[in-house]
Amino acid sequence: MTAGVRRLAWVGLLVVTAALLVFGSVRDSGPLTQQDRIDAITQRVACPTCDGESVYVSRAAAAQAIRAEVARQVGDGLKTDDEIVAYIADRFGGQVLLVPRGSGIDALVWVLPVVVSVALVAALASSFRRGAVATGARSRRAQLVVTVVVVAVVGVGGGVLVARQAGQRLPLQTATGGIEDSTASLLAQARLAGPTDVKSAIELYARVLETDPDNVEALTYRAWLIMLSARQFDESLRQQAYASTITALGRAIELEPGYPDAMCFLGIVVYRDGGDAKSAKEFLDRCLERNPPNEVRGMVESLAAEAAAEVGG
Amino acid sequence: VAVLATAVVFAALVAVFVVSDGDTDVGARSPLLGAPAPAVVTSTVDDAPFDLARRKGSWVVLNFFNSTCVPCIAEHPSLVDFVADEAGRADRAEFYTVVNDDSDGAINGFFAANGGDWPKLRDDDGAVAVAFGVAKVPETWIIDPNGFVRLRIMGAVDDGVLEAQMARLRAGDQ
Repeated sequence: MTAGVRRLAWVGLLVVTAALLVFGSVRDSGPLTQQDRIDAITQRVACPTCDGESVYVSRAAAAQAIRAEVARQVGDGLKTDDEIVAYIADRFGGQVLLVPRGSGIDALVWVLPVVVSVALVAALASSFRRGAVATGARSRRAQLVVTVVVVAVVGVGGGVLVARQAGQRLPLQTATGGIEDSTASLLAQARLAGPTDVKSAIELYARVLETDPDNVEALTYRAWLIMLSARQFDESLRQQAYASTITALGRAIELEPGYPDAMCFLGIVVYRDGGDAKSAKEFLDRCLERNPPNEVRGMVESLAAEAAAEVGG
Repeated sequence: VAVLATAVVFAALVAVFVVSDGDTDVGARSPLLGAPAPAVVTSTVDDAPFDLARRKGSWVVLNFFNSTCVPCIAEHPSLVDFVADEAGRADRAEFYTVVNDDSDGAINGFFAANGGDWPKLRDDDGAVAVAFGVAKVPETWIIDPNGFVRLRIMGAVDDGVLEAQMARLRAGDQ
């Protein structure tokens, strides 16, 4: 077999291997049942309390809890497999991932084998050329530099591609570490803004209500902050704010009768802004029966006593 | 050049070891720290409804517990003292046990024998434990009045630890 034929055979082998790898990585394996998905996901996650076992095989309590959570999320149908795995990894840490991530230091697991493979192929190619052509020292140096650069570019580039294709994504994580724009996050941001930046807090609650008009917390706290802000304006604006606040708090109570904050704020607003001590006392008493959180309880207890004294007098 | 590069890398490594002060804090790591607490909607062993999102406005302490776990039993007197200490405060922290892989009967029996009249939350399928990333009990989590997770303690808490951590968090320390 001549050198030319051997080289052609090696190239053919490489092309076939590359084609098989590409086919294997992009082929669609078809629809999976829910149980298939649960099995596939739990096989990708390590049991956090046992050594060398996946959640799929482990009988440990923590593994069972994770399996139940995976089943629940698969049943909800709202997340992809990767997103469910990301949720588990987000809670228990990256060490529970049996398929390493395709980013950060973990990506080396994917990148390094490709780099080594390309380097080996380059070494092989170099061995074919060895002694075949007599060239000058300068030309050999240039050839060496080109080879090193090509190996580096192809190896790292190929490795990154493999990592992106095969590595575990964490789609819920952002590169900047920003807070995702979920309802829970918006509510938390509104809560933080509330005491010092009432305008922003009202806007954040309004954004929650755009997507979730029946969100009881947003209805309650937006109404409460609007009423607090309106107290510095004229009577006409205060009256408008009072009417809209009463409506919103009434809606919140209708949606969730046991929510203490709405009942408490209703009592405070009816007493302070509506001047109706009798109704206010009733609302404040109901508020205290609902075990409000301490911040709200602190506002209500003295006011309830004040309203009771006024009604009694 | 290779020797110089090796020396620089080695020196950098030594510098990291020297400067690093180790992980000596009480708090354990979690991606949830500084983030809004996961949703917890469940019921108590007395069948009262519980929704963590509705406790905003209070400091909330969640203690993941199992009545057969030795460190859980060991830390229990410290928790009883902590709750008693908090009871006198206007901004007292609300304390909840999250039952981990245990029965209502065993929980009621344990608390009847050892004290602790705070609410015990059911977590029958482990959803709350998974949401917080709790693999082993005991673990104790502190959530601030805005609903953000502020502290995670893995393992048993010693006497005075929770009191000290709450004081630090109330003072606004991270």
